Amino acid sequence: MLYSIVTHTLQFISVHMADNEVKRMEITEMNRGFLQILILALLEQSRYGYSMVKDIEARGYNVEENTLYPLLRRLEKNGWIAGRWELGEDRPRKFYEITAEGRETKARLLAVWNIQNRILEEIQKENAHVR
Amino acid sequence: MSDKLEKYLEEIGHYLSDDGPGREEILSEIRSHILEKVDDAGGRGDEAVLEKVIAEYGSARRVAERYQEGQEIIAPSYRRHLFRYTALLFAAHFIFALLGVVFHDSFTVFPVLFVPKMGIFDLFMYLPMAFLADLGFVALILYFVTRSKKDVKLPWPKFSVDLDQVAAQAKPALWSEPAGYIIGTLAMLALTVAAVVIYSRYGTIFLFSRHGTDFRPFITPEAGRYLSLILIGAWGFGTLATAARIFIRSPWINVISNVVSLAVVRLFLRVPLDEVLIYPINEPLRAIAKNGLLALFLFIALMVTIDLIKNLVMLGKRKLAAERSGRPRP
Repeated sequence: MLYSIVTHTLQFISVHMADNEVKRMEITEMNRGFLQILILALLEQSRYGYSMVKDIEARGYNVEENTLYPLLRRLEKNGWIAGRWELGEDRPRKFYEITAEGRETKARLLAVWNIQNRILEEIQKENAHVR
Repeated sequence: MSDKLEKYLEEIGHYLSDDGPGREEILSEIRSHILEKVDDAGGRGDEAVLEKVIAEYGSARRVAERYQEGQEIIAPSYRRHLFRYTALLFAAHFIFALLGVVFHDSFTVFPVLFVPKMGIFDLFMYLPMAFLADLGFVALILYFVTRSKKDVKLPWPKFSVDLDQVAAQAKPALWSEPAGYIIGTLAMLALTVAAVVIYSRYGTIFLFSRHGTDFRPFITPEAGRYLSLILIGAWGFGTLATAARIFIRSPWINVISNVVSLAVVRLFLRVPLDEVLIYPINEPLRAIAKNGLLALFLFIALMVTIDLIKNLVMLGKRKLAAERSGRPRP
């Protein structure tokens, strides 16, 4: 009986916690995969964070700064990009560039991306016929 | 102007889990980004522009959290284990604590368990801390399992009722045969009336008789009055509560009954029960009587407390289940 009470109490708390977490994560989840490929593609040229934000904005898309930098850090830890600090103009900037391993990853991710796009386009076409 | 920026970065640093160079590098990159954005907006030296750029970057805590995504302290797949294992460990802890009180001894199962020598009231102070310690111990184990990055398949003991089952069983559990409550009400009423009649005649309900006649009180008149009135009150309330269950389908009746029962036990424990007997008894027998009564009341109080917690948790779970299914709660 005691075991049952403690379990009920903890389950009650956990359901509340899980609901809130799902709401918080669902928006960022959508962008995660796309941003990874986008950054790997952009870093065929050496760039620093702010220049990437501006570049992406110029292309009509937005990336949150506080999403970009943690992502750059993760990609660097994975060995897919390499970063180096440069003292340009009046402040230091960290420049990133894709590595050989990053290029292989990018190729794999783009292949998946193309398949996903193809599937979505096919479904869209089918839906258009249904309407 | 950089005071605000430095304060912001310091706050981010406070929330970051990275240490040393890693932390400094993260903060340097954010500093560089914010200053460049301020310059880009033509706001170098302008406090308002800096504040706006910082606000757009996000709250310090949120920014730091982004760097820690994917580095959970406990993997989501083990979250349910945390709760179930804690419940199991606490149940074992609880049993040892009870044994500790009964045998007035300490128990140690290093490093999981330490139950000191303690009395009844110490036990009530001890149990919440024991629960937190158990939760912490299980969390620590699961933290190491998570950090190992291995697919460890932990055992999954299944004893309890899940939320959906509770929702499905809610109605039958709330309501049983009305006939049972009617009989119960009549029995409680008969008991209460008999107690009132005996009390009005003898001034106590604690009587004994050697030959079935000549009833005499066996506890002192003052304690007899006090304890009799408490019992009559409790039985009277029990009669009303049982009668209410015939007409009202509410788990709140159980909760109120539990609270009243605990109050009654508390009132009983205020009386030194080994000193109220009229007839002299030898010391070993007195000690047995005292400890026996104490153990009995402890047992009753624990059972009622467990039932009270169960009723409160069930109320909460039913409310949650009703909200999730869009149904009004019972």
